[in-house]
Amino acid sequence: MSGDGFLQLRGVASRYGQTRVLKDIDLSIGKGEFVALLGSSGCGKTTLLRVIAGFIEPSDGQVAVNGRDITRHQPDKRGMALVFQSYALWPHMTVAQNIGYGLRLRGVARDEIARRVSEMAELLGLSGLEERKPANLSGGQRQRVALGRALAIDPEILLLDEPLSNLDARIRLSVRHELRALQKRLGITAVHVTHDREEAMVMADRIVILDGGRIAQQGSPEEVYNRPASSFVAAFMGAENLLELDGVRDGETFVLQPGSAGEGGSVPVAGRALESGAVEARFRPEAARLTDIDTPATEPGARFFGEVMAVSYPGGHWRHAVKVGDREIMADADRAFPPGQPVTVFVPAETLFLFNTPSGDPVSRPGLPSETVKIPA
Amino acid sequence: MSRRLLGLLLVLPALAVIALLFILPLIMSAVGAFQVDGAFGWGNFVKTFDLYTKDIIFTVVIVSLSTVLIGLASIAIGGYLTLGNNPVAVSILRFLYRWPMFIPFIVVGQLMRTFLAKNGMMNNAAVSLGLMTPMETMSFLDWRGIVFAFVWKQTPFVALLVAGAMASLNRDTIEAARNLGASKLRVLFEIIVPQVAVTLTVGLILSFVTMMSVLSVPLMINAQSPTMLTADIAFRVNAYGDYGVANALGLISLVLASSVAWIYLRISLKERT
Repeated sequence: MSGDGFLQLRGVASRYGQTRVLKDIDLSIGKGEFVALLGSSGCGKTTLLRVIAGFIEPSDGQVAVNGRDITRHQPDKRGMALVFQSYALWPHMTVAQNIGYGLRLRGVARDEIARRVSEMAELLGLSGLEERKPANLSGGQRQRVALGRALAIDPEILLLDEPLSNLDARIRLSVRHELRALQKRLGITAVHVTHDREEAMVMADRIVILDGGRIAQQGSPEEVYNRPASSFVAAFMGAENLLELDGVRDGETFVLQPGSAGEGGSVPVAGRALESGAVEARFRPEAARLTDIDTPATEPGARFFGEVMAVSYPGGHWRHAVKVGDREIMADADRAFPPGQPVTVFVPAETLFLFNTPSGDPVSRPGLPSETVKIPA
Repeated sequence: MSRRLLGLLLVLPALAVIALLFILPLIMSAVGAFQVDGAFGWGNFVKTFDLYTKDIIFTVVIVSLSTVLIGLASIAIGGYLTLGNNPVAVSILRFLYRWPMFIPFIVVGQLMRTFLAKNGMMNNAAVSLGLMTPMETMSFLDWRGIVFAFVWKQTPFVALLVAGAMASLNRDTIEAARNLGASKLRVLFEIIVPQVAVTLTVGLILSFVTMMSVLSVPLMINAQSPTMLTADIAFRVNAYGDYGVANALGLISLVLASSVAWIYLRISLKERT
């Protein structure tokens, strides 16, 4: 990342008592960019957002906007607008007063505020509700008031703290697109915190995945989805199936050894830093191809053998739990294979993510189930 | 015996206590206020307004002024506890502010006598700090002393209620205002206080009624005229055995207290619906 972003974080760290919540975060966000901070709960994403907003002073590092150091500035001096997960609407004010409050603080004239409020209400489909109190609004309407309140002051940076997580599933899908379209139209720089992978994928220009207070990977949605930098990122981006294999690097080819999981296969290294030895193989259920046991491979990839344990129909395809070696994986197929049937699981090379097993940290910790990474819905 | 009769019998002691010790004396006092030498009439009230109109106004002004000051002080205390940046200062304030609540009014009166007198602690401290000469000292043992004592004694109670209500607010509503550019003072008066207004009002009403009924503070601090109605009632009874005027004075304070209690009832009704 270049060092001249519009919003620039340099070596930001934060601790809560003895716990280090954030460690050495370097992040550069361009003007007009939509960045999603993605991670499971406790990864530090909300802390990072609050550091940017000025509610938490970082124990180390610097926050700069447009080249100006604002690390020690009070939240009210930063010109950012934050949309809260709880919306945090003021219950004693009407919709119009909520939206107009930021302008009132700036000493804007009364009729100018009224004009801007009705503009916002129209933009967000709140017309006719201006005189209601937040208690008399639906969840979706409250969310839009919260957004309108933030946008009314025309902020340079819009911070979004899981603003969609309290909406029901159907509204959430449409609000994603509305929010993204609005951000593009207004050209606002946005930082969006979420634990929802799909939400981040659909909305963001760039996804920053946080793990244990560090940036695990950042890149465009297709980059983090198709080229995860670590086993954690792969699992977080949906490649929850995990097999432990041994492999040998042979020039630009990586050969997976046959073992208890199956006959393995050979895949191109394709620029990855893979070394001979134990590897973790990760892939998504939809990337696996389930076939009868004697179907040969027709393209580069790895072949595993297993037995169907259970089958279900989540919609669109059949999902099978397949026992491969001593692990259970999930694999999709267009037709149902009955439980007990031996099958071949073929994973094409480009969807098989391989990572050298970190020494001292074996993949299969005794006593833990194979899928130790839980992805919230 | 039927169950209904048994039930009545069980609540009878409680009913009897309320009827005999509370309702009956109240009715007798109210009736007594309209009796002059065994005949009904307005005599007691005529006499009361002749002698004590100034005291009625004095009482209303003193108690109202104290209520306003208590409100401001408890907003300041609650506000600092909620918005204060310095954790040490916040915890010191949290520890200190409740103490006056546990001190009886009579002791408060005594404390204020030694603190506010012409040669009291406050003036002595000011003199020894060189802020004034002994010649310039003045006694605050008049209406200002009563207000001082009331505010000192009642603020912790209201502040306790208000700080509790502030602490249970959704903090996001505070941070949302800060984020949009509101200073702490504006957050306090435009975001926090409106949200705790009901609690604040209830606390102030309870304080108002309490202050209306305090006898020891005006007796100890303000030994002059005009004084508060409680002192007048005690004087009518103790010095003259004049229960008629005392009852009339009592009825007037009851009306004053009820007028704010009416607001309290309206709020609690509103909360329930």
